Parts: sequence; C-alpha cells; structure tokens
Amino acid sequence: MKVTYNWLKDFVEITLSPQELADKLTMAGLEVTGLDNHGGDPVFEIEITSNRPDWLSVAGIAREIAAITKSKLRAYSVERIAYRKKLSAIRYPLSAKTIKISIEDRKDCPLYTANLIQGTKVKQAPDWMRQRLESVGCRSINNIVDITNYILFSLGEPLHAFDLDKIVRRSPVAGRQLDIIIRRAKKGEELVTIDGEKRTLSEDILVIAADEITGRQADRRQGTGKPIAIAGIIGGKDTEVDENTRNVLLEAAIFNPLLTRRARQALGVQTESSYRFERGVDPGMVQVASESASELILEHASAECFAFFSSGTAAIKKRQILLDAESAQKNLGITIGPTQIKSILTRLGFTVQVKEKRKMQVVVPSFRIDVAQEVDLIEELARIRGYENIPPTLPKTCLKAADHKKDLLAFTKDILVGLGLQEVITYSLVDRESLRGLCADRAPEVLNPLSKDQEVLRTTLAPGLLTCVSRNLNQQELYVAIFETAKRFVLTDKNVPGEELMLGIALCGARPRFVADGLIKDKMSILHLKGITEVLFERLGISDHLLQIGPAGAVTVKIKGEDIGAIFEAKKDILERWDIKNKEVFILEISLEKVFASARTEKKFKPLPLYPAITRDISLVIKEDLLAGDILTAVRLNAPSLLAEVKIADFYKGRQIPPGYKGLTVSCAYRSAERTLTEEEIAPLHASICGILQDRFGAKIR
Amino acid sequence: MSSVDIEAIKNQLGLEINAVNSSQGLEELRIKYLGRKGLISQLTGMIPGLPQEERAAFGQKANALKNKTLSLIEEKQRSLGQVSAVEEFSGLDIGLPAIVQDLGRLHPLTQIIDEICAVFVRLGFSVVEGPEIETEYNNFTGLNIPLEHPSRDAFDTFYLKPSNNTNDQRPTTSDRLLLRSHTSPVQIRAMKSQKPPLAVVVPGRVYRPDAVDASHSFMFHQIEGFMVDKGIRFSDLKGVLEAFAKAVFGEDIKMRFRPHFFPFTEPSAEVDISCIICKGKGCSVCGRKGWLEVLGAGMIHPNVFKHVGYNAREYTGFAFGMGVERIAMLKYGINDIRLFFENDLRFLRQF
Repeated sequence: MKVTYNWLKDFVEITLSPQELADKLTMAGLEVTGLDNHGGDPVFEIEITSNRPDWLSVAGIAREIAAITKSKLRAYSVERIAYRKKLSAIRYPLSAKTIKISIEDRKDCPLYTANLIQGTKVKQAPDWMRQRLESVGCRSINNIVDITNYILFSLGEPLHAFDLDKIVRRSPVAGRQLDIIIRRAKKGEELVTIDGEKRTLSEDILVIAADEITGRQADRRQGTGKPIAIAGIIGGKDTEVDENTRNVLLEAAIFNPLLTRRARQALGVQTESSYRFERGVDPGMVQVASESASELILEHASAECFAFFSSGTAAIKKRQILLDAESAQKNLGITIGPTQIKSILTRLGFTVQVKEKRKMQVVVPSFRIDVAQEVDLIEELARIRGYENIPPTLPKTCLKAADHKKDLLAFTKDILVGLGLQEVITYSLVDRESLRGLCADRAPEVLNPLSKDQEVLRTTLAPGLLTCVSRNLNQQELYVAIFETAKRFVLTDKNVPGEELMLGIALCGARPRFVADGLIKDKMSILHLKGITEVLFERLGISDHLLQIGPAGAVTVKIKGEDIGAIFEAKKDILERWDIKNKEVFILEISLEKVFASARTEKKFKPLPLYPAITRDISLVIKEDLLAGDILTAVRLNAPSLLAEVKIADFYKGRQIPPGYKGLTVSCAYRSAERTLTEEEIAPLHASICGILQDRFGAKIR
Repeated sequence: MSSVDIEAIKNQLGLEINAVNSSQGLEELRIKYLGRKGLISQLTGMIPGLPQEERAAFGQKANALKNKTLSLIEEKQRSLGQVSAVEEFSGLDIGLPAIVQDLGRLHPLTQIIDEICAVFVRLGFSVVEGPEIETEYNNFTGLNIPLEHPSRDAFDTFYLKPSNNTNDQRPTTSDRLLLRSHTSPVQIRAMKSQKPPLAVVVPGRVYRPDAVDASHSFMFHQIEGFMVDKGIRFSDLKGVLEAFAKAVFGEDIKMRFRPHFFPFTEPSAEVDISCIICKGKGCSVCGRKGWLEVLGAGMIHPNVFKHVGYNAREYTGFAFGMGVERIAMLKYGINDIRLFFENDLRFLRQF
C-alpha cells in the first residue's frame, strides 16, 4: 500500500524526515519497501501484513506513527458534518420514508448505509486530490469517484457511488419508494460491471439489488430487485456515475470477509474495495467515512444537501483481555511494568485498567480485529518497545540423541561422493509421460499443476537422472556419474499415496583415468554399479545381499532375500525420449529405507589369523554362457575345510581365448588356524578343486 | 705443500660442495677429500716430512680443514634431506596429468543444509525429517492458519487429486492431501509425538505453484527449527539465531528482527542480516537497503500448542524457518535459482 508524507501529516504531527520515518515504520512491522517522490510529496510503499487491515489507510498508519513517535493525532472533525446532515434532511425531496434498506442476512452484511446526495455537478476533482490519488497509484476519474477513493485511502472504508437517477430511472417523486436489497445473487443472474465485463453470478455471491416500487405496489410482497453491484467488490455499469449525474446514492457498508473473498476468487476480480473487505473493515468508521465523503461532495461537486439512511448496526461487542505483566516478561525476556504497558497500549487505542498488582484489563478497539488473546498484546508491547531492545540470550540446551536414519543418509552420500559420484537434485514433480516404461507403479496426481511438467509425483528417480545425463551430454561431457537421494511416491492399492526414500545412480560414458602408461578410458557398465553397491553395503554392514539377473534383463538387488531395487541398462527407445543417442546409460535405483533397515554399523573385532595363507591361482577357460557366480558357489560348497577364501582374480576375452569362451582366474587362499600349511598339504586339495571345475563346468585349465 | 695450499683446498671444497645436488655427488666428494687416498690424508701424510717447527701449525690447519670438511658434508647431507631413502631418477615431468581417483561432490544445497544443521546440532538440536505429502490439517489448520483466510494466499499450494475409490468417504477438508508448502507441518508431527523439552531442525523439500524464473521455483528447500520447553523466551530466539548467523555468515554479520505476521507465531518477526555483499552500505543485491531478509521466526502461537495438546500456560517455544536456496544464492553469489535443479556438472563442480 502506498501513502504520502503530506497526506499522513493531515492526521499526525511528524517531525521525522521521510527516511527516518521509513526506518521507524519498518522496525515497527510496517515494512517500507520503497520511498519515492511524487510532485514534491514523498511516497512510501508499505507492505501491510494480512492481519492488519487497520493499516490499510492513511489514518491507520498515522495512528501507528503517533504510537511509535509519541506524537499527537490530529482530531478528525465530524461536527461540521453533523450540522450539514440536519440541514439536508429538511431540504432533500426524498424523505426518510422513500428509501428502504433490506438486508437478507445480517451475517453477510451487518451494516449497510446509503447517503442520498442531491444536485451534484460532475467535473474534475481538485488538483490536490488528483495528485494525491495519482501518488498512491489510483487513476483519477471524476470528482465523485475520486472522492470515494480519496476517503477509501484516507480512512480505509470502501465506498461506492451510484447514479441515483439511473436506479430510480425517473426523477424522484413523492410517494415512490426505493428498495435497496442486500441479498445473495440468484443462480445465473447477470450483471455488467463497471469494467465492461458481463458477469454470471451464483448463490455464493452477495449483491446489492434495487427495486423501485410505487405507493400501491409497496403494499405487496417485497420484490427482489435487480442487481446493481457485487457487494464489496465492483459496481454495475448501468448505475455508474457519469458526467450527467445529478443525484448520488453513496454506499458505505460492512460485508462478510469470507464471502467477499470467495466471490472475488470466483469472479477473478480484485479491487481496492474487495482487498479491504476481505481483511476486515472497521464498523466504527462506516458512518464517519460516508459523511466525510458527502461533505467533500458538497464542497467539490457543488451538491446541495444529503440525507443518511442505514440498516444494521455498527455496534460490536468489544473484546476484553486480561494481561499479566509477568507473562509479558516471561515470553519476551525483558523487564516491563504496568505503567509502561499501559502507556504503550493506550497510544495504540486500547483502553487499559490496572487490576490487582501486575494484572490489567484491556479493552480492544473495534479496528483491531487481529487482537484476540494475551499473546497478541504481548506482541504489541514488543513491537512498540522495539524488537531491537530485546537482548539476545541463549536457552538451556535440550540434549537429544541424534536421529539414526539421518546419520546413515549423510554417511551414504559421503561414500558415494568418495566413489567419485556427483550429487544432483531433481524435481519430484514430473510429466506423466516421462515415467512410461520406467516404472509401472501408479503415480499420485497433482490437482492444480501449473504445467504438464508437474502433473504427477514421480514413482522413480530415473527420469530426473536421465534429464541430467542428457543435459550434460549436450554440454559435451564425455562422462556422467551422478546420484540422487530423494523420495519416490506411489499410489497404493487403497489409493493412498505413499513415499519412499530412494537412491538413484546413473552412469554414462567412460571415465578418463590416467595410469602410469597414460590415459585409459574406463567404460561404464553394469559391473560399475555392482561395485558401488558392494562398497555401500559393506560400509553399511550389510552382508546378506545378492544381485540376481531377472527375466527382463534387469538385475534385481536383494537384501536378505527381499527385493530392494534394480540395476539396469536403459533401453535405446527410452534414451531417445531424452535425446540420448549412441550412448549407454546404466541406472541403479534402490530403496534406502530398506537398505537402512538392514544396516549394521556397529563393528566387532575378529582376531587376525595367526598363520600365513597359501594362495593358488587357477587360470581356466570356460564357455561364455557359464556364470562366474556359479563357479565360485560350486567351489565354496565343495571346498575342503582349509579353503579360507575364493575369488575371481581376473577375467578376460580376446585373442588367446577361442570364440564363445572366456578366461577366468580363480584365486584360492588356503589357511589353517592351527599351523602353517605346507605345499604338500595343499596340493591334493587344490587338485580336487581343479577337478570340480573340469568335471562340473568343462573348464580347460591352462 | 704449504699452508697456502691448505687455503686453496679449502676454497675449492667450498665451491665443489655448493655444486653437489645428489647424494651420489656428495659421496664422490667425500671420497675425494676424506677417503683413504683423499686430499686430507695426503696432507696429514706430509706432516712427518716437514721441519719440526712447522709440524704443529700445519697439523692444526690440516685438522681444522678435516673438521670443516666433515661439518660441510654433514650439513649438505641434511640439506639433501633423507638422502639415502630417495631413489635417484631421471626424466620426471611433473607437468604431466596427476594420477588420482577423484572424489565426487555433494550438491551445493546439501552442503548448505549440512552446514546449517550442524550449527544447530552443536546448539543441542536434533535433525528430523517429515513426509512431503501432508494433510491440510498439518500444513495449515494445526498451524493456526484458518482454512479460508487471506493469510493462506501466501501459501499457495499443490493439492493431490482426491482418491476416486467409491468406497471411500469423501475426505473432509482437513484430510485433503497436498504437497507441503513449508516444513512447518513437521512441528505438528514432532509435538504430537513427543513431549517437551524439544529442540528440532527439519530440512526438506517444499512445493508451491510458482511459475519458474530466476528467483522462483515450484520446488525448493527449507529448514525449519523449533524449541519448546518451560521458560523459552523471545530473547532466546534472538540469541540462537544470532549464533546461527555468525556461524554461517561470519562473526561480523549484523542481524535485525522486524515485527511481522505469521499465523503460527506470536510475536512474529522477519529476520534480516546485514548485506554480505556491501556490508550494509547498500547495493543492488540488497536493494540499497543494506539488509537481506533471510528468516521468518517467532514465539510459537498458543493456538498451535492447543492443537498438539501442549499446555500453553506451562510451555513456551520459538520457531523459525528459512529458504535454503536463498541462503545458498547469497552465500555463493548465485543469481539464478534454476541452476540448482539443472544440475549442469560445470555448475556443480564449483562447490
């Protein structure tokens, strides 16, 4: 909201410079986000928080300035207005009997007032008024409309001026009655609003309707009239004030905030008026605003007189709150007594009565709809006294054990980074199409996405990883090795969305590595992902894990027999969706929740072997389709008791190996816990292992 | 040979030993001077042939030379380092590429989150995470954000499509599911499941339907923190956040608390730090104000305590929340929030 320095000075004495005032306001919760100059009058742009509609006016901000700077508010005179009203009541041809205001539901509209103003001459508003309105970003229309806006900005009460003769359609005649009805719109009812839009209304929208009834008709059942305005939001085109307007109906009212908000949302039209009604307008200001505006119309539109009608009540029950100085001290960590409390609250418009000892009874003024309980008053004390005057202290710490799961996550990320992987963070919301072929689970759908790219929550991290791979390949990267730890989301059978913390890894290209002989290119493969999983599981203390080739070619990752995810090479047609061509991308995705459930990071020492091992390697050639894992298992199962360890020490294909075959080096370590083994002891054992390999697998031992 | 020769040998030794740059060269030099047939034994071997009166002086000079040689060699040996342990080689080109297994890197947002959480952990907070799919109750109602109120405008929210299972009862408003628009719902979860004292920080992803541009993203990260106990005061909030700002932005950082409005705290504050670019003088980053807004904070509203079943007369607490991307952007001088989610390796490798 914008407000000018001189406009504020109409309401309060200000001795501070504009910049000093801006700083004070900011530190009191009215953040000044801009300070410009408009025609010699400094203009403040102030961010008003949604709980303080009483600050949406020059008068409201002036009241705050008076409280902060301990300066005097200038009295806003209504005496002159009262005098004119009396005068006009006599002279106005429409007597009090000629207008009847009916409010269908007081919850929708607790108070409606109408001022009938006679003899207006519509022209340009005075220069000073137009300049002020323009300073705060309001376009000048004509004197009548400008005056309603001027009062809106000055006092925070939205007004609307109707051309009375367009409502009544004939010159006022004695005996005619104008019915103003505040009611819900009928479904499908239409109204062309001032902005020229034809709007279709519904029962959730409150309208002002008018009905002209002759003397005889007045006896009949009350009609519902025709809508002439959408309550609190925007007026109708048919009844707007124009250069020929001679008589004005000036509306000032209170409309239900929630209703206004819903109607504003449904119609998609926000006005200075709806903005204020949604947040709450002070009922105590309605009549003052209406009469002040009428006064200005008399002065600047040469009107002759006006007459005030109203229905409903401005009276609301004022809240009373018990405030204990002790609570304020305890909550804020400062010393503050009843005298200071009373001084601050009184300046803000509260009435304070000191009860026993340090307790006070505080009456909340009608414009402070945000103040409902003691803590709200405590905030006022802190605010006016200044947050900067509260000394920083440190609380006694509450010690709690660290969260186990979080530690494991950080540990996992460190391991992956240690293995040379780069962490990425990608969007959880994706295009449904991106999941096709990557995950069969049902994705939870977003009700209100901004675009197709956000229509579902992802059921797999793979699309995000592929997007990263694609992007970096486009940047001429030859090697991409990335990981992400994030949630995936699925709809369960019962349509309940669930989430699961996952680890996703993508490898693509060849890792350039220098060895003593020069550069080698370490081409990525499924086995690289196997290596990462093994290191990760080993460091997390998970031993019972298995990689199993599934029917679809993917490798299933299992812990204790349970599927926890998969390793696979992305199909070419999937990669094409990401514009990845002539490249292989290897992906791992496992459930970290399941991994962490099996993690055992406590360590237990095993004594070191007392005697040395003897290692024997067997170089063998087998058919290509035989699996290394089966060979190791067979050796282990048939191993003599002295075989301490068996592993594949090397594997190779190439010139020395006939086509359709592969070479393996199986390394066997023999050890006894009681003595140092001799060559002679090992020889028969080793021979039996070689025998198994030859017999069972047809291995040719080289 | 005479004393003049001894001086000449001494000078020559000085030059030669300076030129030595390997242990092999030093050994050759040692043999040349101190070997069995070296220069110094040649000198001492000459002593018997000298006149009686010259012997003593010559002997002393030769001995002094010997000692000098020993000490110079020893000194050289030290300057050559553990000479004996180093393999001599030739043809090394130290400009060739290093041979190394490089490390990956954590995402800059992870690094910032870890750094910030570590500060609070040192102050006694524990780190907790919560689900990203939340109920409307935890995200709004429990936090004293009325279902229909302008304050909700600031929290524009992604809702999930309601389940179309016909057996299901139509979900009430509070059960409606959404993507959390802030990390504050974890307050409700933590307080409902635990009794005070409580000191928790919550890092995580949050979602708001904002059109993506250089400073907006529909997904971003927040860190929420809160502490509840008997006797927690607004002044404690100030102390804790000042400790945080100093740890993350440096000892010289200034901090200011401005009154603000959040439905879930009262009193509420927006917290600024002195601009880390211009040190408070005013620049384009801080909009010439000298201050940068980094946090929202306040004393937990009694209505929130009511929702979780805490006695607001017995307990008080504070809560704060901050945007991780904003802090990372300020700290690293990053000018576009989209960089965090594009994951360009050239960007990520800088952290």
